[in-house]
Amino acid sequence: MSTVTTNAKFNLGQLATTYNKMPDWLQGFTNATLGMSILLFFWWVGGILIESNPDTEAFAAFAPGPALTALWELIGTPFLWDTILSSLERILYGLFWGIVIGVPVGVLVGYFVFVRQVANMPFQFLRMISPLAWMPIAVLAFETWDGAIIFLLVMATVWPIVFGTAHGVQRIDPNWFQVARNLGADGYQMLRRVIMPAIAQDVFAGIRLAVGVAWVVLVPAEYLGVTSGLGYAINDARDTLDYDTLAAIVVVIGAIGYMLDTIAAKLIKYYSWKME
Amino acid sequence: MGSANIWITDLFHFYNKKQVSPTLENINLTIPQGQLTALIGRSGCGKSTLLQMIAGLLMPSEGSVRINAHTVTKPSAKWNMMFQKPSLYPWMTVRENAALGLVFSGTYKDKKDRVEELLDMVGLKDHKDKNVQQLSGGQQQRVALARSLATEPDVLLLDEPFSALDAFTRAALQTEVAQICHDYGITMVLVTHDIDEAVAMADKVVIMNHNPGRIVGSMDVNLPYPRDRNEAPFIELKEYLFSEFEKIDQAKESELEQMAS
Ligand SMILES: Nc1ncnc2c1ncn2[C@@H]1O[C@H](COP(=O)(O)OP(=O)(O)OP(=O)(O)O)[C@@H](O)[C@H]1O
Ligand SMILES: [Mg+2]
Repeated sequence: MSTVTTNAKFNLGQLATTYNKMPDWLQGFTNATLGMSILLFFWWVGGILIESNPDTEAFAAFAPGPALTALWELIGTPFLWDTILSSLERILYGLFWGIVIGVPVGVLVGYFVFVRQVANMPFQFLRMISPLAWMPIAVLAFETWDGAIIFLLVMATVWPIVFGTAHGVQRIDPNWFQVARNLGADGYQMLRRVIMPAIAQDVFAGIRLAVGVAWVVLVPAEYLGVTSGLGYAINDARDTLDYDTLAAIVVVIGAIGYMLDTIAAKLIKYYSWKME
Repeated sequence: MGSANIWITDLFHFYNKKQVSPTLENINLTIPQGQLTALIGRSGCGKSTLLQMIAGLLMPSEGSVRINAHTVTKPSAKWNMMFQKPSLYPWMTVRENAALGLVFSGTYKDKKDRVEELLDMVGLKDHKDKNVQQLSGGQQQRVALARSLATEPDVLLLDEPFSALDAFTRAALQTEVAQICHDYGITMVLVTHDIDEAVAMADKVVIMNHNPGRIVGSMDVNLPYPRDRNEAPFIELKEYLFSEFEKIDQAKESELEQMAS
């Protein structure tokens, strides 16, 4: 018995040293795999609990086994890709308008103290309203369901972008303006060479937050009227009691959300100029 | 590079309308082309204000600044100011920072060599592709110098540009900048509280007084370049300037006391 324990300890120690010797990226990868395994484990346990409870037995297809099988089958179908594309398209429209409105407003808020003081309260107030709360108004105001959904997404994306941009503008060193003016910069050059590069990372930080919120809002928004998109697919799977597909779509939502966030994080890194 | 006369005539400045005494009062100063002038005076006497007016970054309440045939109404790369802080753009390399004035005027493509030469000249040959955040304070100020010189200015305006540097770097840059201005015939105006710096760099030292900001005296510095700071004439001039400065200061003090009593 005692030999076994020492053996186990020895192995653990060895494991620790191997881990420490690994390059950073491999350590990161190992840790990420560990995290995903833990998630999978809880999902699996959850599946077993659902299955063993007579009340919830009917939802057993939520478990990782059936879900991942359904996912595998879905990946081969154009249905999944069309669904993803229509959701991504809405997100892009929402982000586009969020940026088109949010960045200029953010510049004004960041640059003019007066605008900031006037805008602060109403903006904080509006920001706190769940984008989904605009749903009835959106449905009234827009002729198409798509229009309404994109409006909801804009209500979600615009605030982080406004605040991110404003923060970036406020951080601009006033001397940068003076130096640029002194070197003969005109308004456009000031914008292009000084203001935009100076605030880019903060704008993208805002966009990253916006993408996160928009992605979360998108699915319930797609429960509305439309007949495409991931939210619709979830609703549809529920109505047809197709629980393994439903779970598979949830996995897809998570994966794409993660991807979008990674892209945004890469952009922030690319545009950040602060050196550690 | 060309060079320029600077004429300042009957210049007054109030920062706000409620001011009792002006920030600058009746400033008249002519700086012949190619001359290196140092403005010295107590903190708050309006040196930076005056310099910003020469640069076109600030308009005087009354009077005018003219450079050659132009009345200065806005900044221009031809009369260029170097500030106390280098204020480089941290998202650019050393080269990109130095080239910025040329990029703004759309002439960088034709004058790439000029930027390279200037960077070599200010001792940044091996740092051209580095991000400016990787440079020391002295090196950063050298980038700012190259950036100012790249646009071939007629006038170079310096507002305590070396005050944040260590003594050795400061002395080296003082000598270099004075030399460069002489070589290219650039008219230079330097603001400083450092009498040593004024005597080391300038052909003429102008003394300002505060409350209101006025020009109260001047002194020519007829020493050859490069100047040896340990030679007797240099030290004598420095001491003379210091005593003049003190006299003016004491006169001001007693004037203020009289006004108070
Ligand atoms: N933007 C401004 N608004 C109002 N008053 C100002 C402004 N800038 C400077 N002043 C005042 O004008 C006076 C002259 O300032 P200035 O900066 O020209 O002095 P200075 O001689 O350069 O001083 P220092 O040697 O400390 O740099 C000071 O009394 C200062 O308080
Ligand atoms: Mg000053």
